[in-house]
Amino acid sequence: MHRFLSFLLLFLFSLYASGVASAADYHEQLVLQPLPLSALLASFNFRSNTSLSAFEAHNYRFFPRSLGQILQHAGTRELHLRFSLGHWDAESWGARPWNGTREGGTGVELWAWLEAEEEDEANHRWSTLTNALSGLFCASLNFIDGTRTTRPVMSFRPEGTLPNTNSSSNTQLLYGVLPREVVCTENLTPFLKLLPSKGKAGIASLLDGHKLFDASWQSMAIDVRPICPPGGECVLEIEQTIDMVLDIERSKRPRGNPIPRPVPSHELKCDMTKPYQSDDTCYPADYTASQDWTLSQVFGRLMKGACPLSDPSVPPVCLRVPHSRDVYVSVGVREMKNADGLSRCFEVPSDAEVDIVLPQIGQAGVTGHTANGAILTPDTPPLYAERSFTGYGQERGGVQTILTNPSPDKEVEFVYMESLPWFMRIYLHTLQARLDGQNGADNSLIQEVYYRPAVDRARGTQLELRMRIPPASTVFLTYDFEKSILRYTEYPPDANRGFDVAAAVITILRVGQEAVSTSSLRTTTLLLSLPTPDFSMPYNVIIFTSTAIALAFGGLFNILVRRFVAADEGPEVSIKTLKTRIAARLSDLVKKFKQAKIDRKE
Amino acid sequence: MKLSGIAAVLAAALLAPATVAAEHTSNWAVLVSTSRFWFNYRHLANVLSMYRTVKRLGIPDSQIILMLPDDMACNPRNAFPGTVYSNADRAVDLYGDNIEVDYRGYEVTVENFIRLLTDRVGDEMPRSKRLLTDDRSNILVYMTGHGGNEFLKFQDAEEIGAFDLADAFEQMWEKKRYHEILFMIDTCQANTMYSKLYSPNIIATGSSELDQSSYSHHADNDVGVAVIDRYTYYNLEFLEKEVRDINSKKTVGDLFDSYDYEKIHSHAGVRYDLFRGGAEAARSRLITDFFGNVQNVEVDGSKNTTLEEDLLALSKTIAALKQKADEVEAAERNNSTQATKKHPETHKVQLAKPLTDDDWWTKKLFGATALAGCAALWAL
Repeated sequence: MHRFLSFLLLFLFSLYASGVASAADYHEQLVLQPLPLSALLASFNFRSNTSLSAFEAHNYRFFPRSLGQILQHAGTRELHLRFSLGHWDAESWGARPWNGTREGGTGVELWAWLEAEEEDEANHRWSTLTNALSGLFCASLNFIDGTRTTRPVMSFRPEGTLPNTNSSSNTQLLYGVLPREVVCTENLTPFLKLLPSKGKAGIASLLDGHKLFDASWQSMAIDVRPICPPGGECVLEIEQTIDMVLDIERSKRPRGNPIPRPVPSHELKCDMTKPYQSDDTCYPADYTASQDWTLSQVFGRLMKGACPLSDPSVPPVCLRVPHSRDVYVSVGVREMKNADGLSRCFEVPSDAEVDIVLPQIGQAGVTGHTANGAILTPDTPPLYAERSFTGYGQERGGVQTILTNPSPDKEVEFVYMESLPWFMRIYLHTLQARLDGQNGADNSLIQEVYYRPAVDRARGTQLELRMRIPPASTVFLTYDFEKSILRYTEYPPDANRGFDVAAAVITILRVGQEAVSTSSLRTTTLLLSLPTPDFSMPYNVIIFTSTAIALAFGGLFNILVRRFVAADEGPEVSIKTLKTRIAARLSDLVKKFKQAKIDRKE
Repeated sequence: MKLSGIAAVLAAALLAPATVAAEHTSNWAVLVSTSRFWFNYRHLANVLSMYRTVKRLGIPDSQIILMLPDDMACNPRNAFPGTVYSNADRAVDLYGDNIEVDYRGYEVTVENFIRLLTDRVGDEMPRSKRLLTDDRSNILVYMTGHGGNEFLKFQDAEEIGAFDLADAFEQMWEKKRYHEILFMIDTCQANTMYSKLYSPNIIATGSSELDQSSYSHHADNDVGVAVIDRYTYYNLEFLEKEVRDINSKKTVGDLFDSYDYEKIHSHAGVRYDLFRGGAEAARSRLITDFFGNVQNVEVDGSKNTTLEEDLLALSKTIAALKQKADEVEAAERNNSTQATKKHPETHKVQLAKPLTDDDWWTKKLFGATALAGCAALWAL
């Protein structure tokens, strides 16, 4: 499972080694890895440094000024921001890129270490930070208020060197999450503007919102951390990462006409080994048959050369396919095969438009290659996790998380963190962990529980569990909750869609006997349907009560102002009386008219 | 007679520099779509095509406030991810590569809209989400959504009334937050929305009269919904064809004259009476006065010595006051540092607590005592 990790670590180390040389520098790299089921993982990484003294003197070179000023204003030591969309299919794609440390749950996630002595000061700075970031990144980050903020105890560890980390007296960790937030082109625009190349050159020129937001899974990450190498000057490092899994078939569709049309039957790729294969029945062949692509096809554009600002010692593009596969490149691009036999990197001139072609297997002249050898088998992740709702009805529900340790011989220890909205009131006494195949709860699975109960409309529930799963086993973690009824004005405009519950964050502490420095994964978000009122109900009530009042008032008013008499007591009403009355009126009018004439003559 | 003639000439001579000074020096645009849900795709497309037009004519993103209540571009229903089209020919992707949305999703509310106009926002509000106009700013306010007689619905959950809007504009005028406003609205019974305005220097136009609907123009069968409204479509047609660049001399009157019942299928309305100089002055305003970014620079020509003296005196007072405030602050800081030195720091950070069974027996004891107490009370 550590192949991808070791590769990345090697890359990180090379960055680090060169990072010591100069205080302000910039690197970028794109790693492409074909995955099973016709998918392609593209990991973009941009990293720049500035010395802390230059940063404090407002002297920005590669570090984005707009973000730097916000960080200084809000007293932020370390910042992590995530925009994610989609679902990482761990069953088929295996371990996550960067061991899951550069991704968030669906929506927007933000955690930061703020300089603050007291809780109020931290809250104030946090609100300053979220509001400023919401303006910068065109996201509703200002919605991260008290109800969506937690202070994790075990889950997150600072990546950089914070002063006085041991006492942790003057830095505070706050974590906020918005699972409902959409991630779209307007978030990519500011992300690219933070880069020294502004997305105009280098690998950033491949980033196109139309492809990025069509991906099966994508995650944009921004990490800012202070790093103090022993004996060296402290630097502030910003790392921007975009990971996406593209469906190759899908991204090859032309942009103007992306709607798939049925393929004519003679062009269908069928699995000939099936016994029922005939002219009118077809079982689709293995997807890997279509593992051929070019950069311009999957990203919709050519790469505009290497970024002239970036460190030339870091190759801008790397591809992880076996050396036995041929790769065609544009003129001027130099291919370097790595010693591990599984990856190769490309050196790219800065003034050329670059394309990379991965031809179909067999077509490239390499005969006798099966589809199995064409792509690397993904590493097995240390843990699988899935979470879902149980129960039915509008009043109560339950949450079940299935955690599976795939390793045959190593125990996994991790922290499972949930930050739940206040309107999901959990019953902590129902929390239990059960091993698959056993009856009843197993108390040894949950080792430590940190809990902070919700306060209605003020803060959400925070639940952190330190758990241990024995090798090759599955654990069911369940708890029940009650759904509360919101006030009329607290419902969002699309209340009937449901309320999103943020992803659970799983931080892996230990695999077997070796401690894991940073590795995490996230479950999917959940959609909680709360009892919603009929929103036209108040209007019905108003109309009904108005009608009732009108009727009552009318009747009462009639009774008060009219005198009721028996029919025979009142004046007789017949056609004759009516006639006489009308005649009398007419004669009156005539008289008046005559009188007026006489008056005028006089 | 002669005297009055001379007076008129004098008046004109006096007024001439005043009219030069009355030009605007910045352009802003507030573009608001107020409907959520996929079937209202056309309202977002309306607003995004306006956004494209004002950006094409030079208003920078920092001076455009764009409010989009829902996400159409990255909506799972959208067959064309990352795009919004306002025409079935799909020639122009309105979402493009470079878009900045200032208010989106649940942020688009009546409250936020009125707070934006009147600039009654908290300290923490970032500048990009504020309308930082002054009395030399021309503002284009474009709204679209579902509305009715004297109201416009926001996200199908709340409404803004014509009176609310009129009061917001009046407050803007009182706070010297605009020079001239062009208010455009595309919704059913749109003309009722501007009927209550009472602040000066506003030109208002709407898509349809009282009891008239505002119709969509056409649908894209691959997107699956209507993509633009008629009124906006013909406005854009005029702007694209006649106002090709910032140097266009087309006037607001030309635009209004292009409105045609045969095309729009409703009676588009115009209101000039609030404008200084009435219909004639309003109609002669250039389109680019509102849709473009015209940067007139105002130079103080004549030296006003008394004003300068006053300003000097004022700045001196301000400096003195600042110094005083600094002194007071420093004194306070000294006091507070002394005070904090006296008291050791107390950390008031509430963190999640570990659940332990350490004091299991005490808890049980408490429970038992409480139960016993109740039982004793019952027995008494």
